[in-house]
Amino acid sequence: MAATERESSALAGLLQAALALPILVVPARAGAATVGEVGFTLLGYKEQGLMKITEPIIWGDAVIDEKWELSASGAIDIITGASPQLVSNATGKPVQTITGASISDRRRTYNVKVGRRFGDFTFSASRAHSEEEDYISHAFGLEARWDLNQKLTTLTAGYGKSNDRVRSSDNPALDEPRYTDEYLFGITQVLSPVAIIQSSLRYARGQGDYNDPYKLTLTFYPDAPPAFLPDTRPASRDTWAWTTRYRRHFPSPDATLQVDYRYYHDDWGIDAHTLEGAWQFPVAEHYALRPALRYYTQSAADFYSPTIPRPTPAILSSDQRLSAFGGLSPSLRLIYRNESGLTVEGTAGYVYNARTLHFGGGGNEAFETLRAYYGLVSVSHAF
Amino acid sequence: MRILLLAAAAFALAACASVAPYQRGYLARPDMAFEPSAGTAEALGKTYSAKEAASGGASVGGGGCGCN
Repeated sequence: MAATERESSALAGLLQAALALPILVVPARAGAATVGEVGFTLLGYKEQGLMKITEPIIWGDAVIDEKWELSASGAIDIITGASPQLVSNATGKPVQTITGASISDRRRTYNVKVGRRFGDFTFSASRAHSEEEDYISHAFGLEARWDLNQKLTTLTAGYGKSNDRVRSSDNPALDEPRYTDEYLFGITQVLSPVAIIQSSLRYARGQGDYNDPYKLTLTFYPDAPPAFLPDTRPASRDTWAWTTRYRRHFPSPDATLQVDYRYYHDDWGIDAHTLEGAWQFPVAEHYALRPALRYYTQSAADFYSPTIPRPTPAILSSDQRLSAFGGLSPSLRLIYRNESGLTVEGTAGYVYNARTLHFGGGGNEAFETLRAYYGLVSVSHAF
Repeated sequence: MRILLLAAAAFALAACASVAPYQRGYLARPDMAFEPSAGTAEALGKTYSAKEAASGGASVGGGGCGCN
């Protein structure tokens, strides 16, 4: 009897959540004035020979009286280790070297979002703040959603702005602005009782200081004195990101296919593709597994060079994140979810970035392979 | 490649059928959500964008970070 009631309650909750699709993704309980979820996530990330990051995150979201949507999160990044600073060809070919003391920094960040539903329309505003020793970011966002076609289609438009300050631990005098305006248009479409797709286009125009104050290039010439340049980038950046996400459930094996694709382009000359596929399936009562594979590839920025050519250009960066490379990242997630609303997730992942993984070959020779491991534990409870 | 993807998206949208509210149970499953939990999405998104030139997704107003 109790089991039947639980099943009935779970079914009613599922139906209520379904009626609110495609917008509402927080778990719901039938008849509740407030539904939502609170959670805690802990990230551990370690690069081979470089940085280590530990990040606790608390987060929550709620829908109150089916009118107000609230969400918030707060996190602290604890960063230790070393970051590559100098690219030099002193040994004959350009390699990155680590100089100075090891890094130890803390980044505190939070964001809050409040939305109000008016029939088929929802308007929301968000605020985000991030602060670390050498970077401060204040951002806000405005978003409008329109459910139409009996909530089978949702259109989204958004505007965001961030006012950032670029600083440096090595140079207290550095305090330069960076402003970014963002525009977003998206569509979410229910394709069938088991399939849904979302496609969004984001355009951002940024102006200000993009130089990395810690990156330097030192080049030796056989017939001239060596040249030394700090990282110098354009004072603006226009970026486009087109993101499409597809979800398809297969009732028979009770499994779900998740596919995400992003095409990125900017006026620094970088084109990037990100493709991630995941397959989530049950392995026991309350337990599911989610193996995933992410592939990333990007072309180089126009001004990327691991050595300083002659004559010396006005802008140049040897930061290998602006070079041509590719990356593979497999991960495995174990999910426990019970009827009371408790969800526990554990994820283990590996990041492997290499020039040989650049799509079509032709990755930059100077790119040094990055190997990193990460683990994520997340505990949340729906109410 | 872009043309192919656009064509696939257009085809998918054209092919969508009417789905009554009572048929949307599967769509409400957590594994059908576009984002994993908020904490997981935030942690992974920042981890990748700190090591790659590309960034940005399906939201705005998130702000930036030093990520050096």
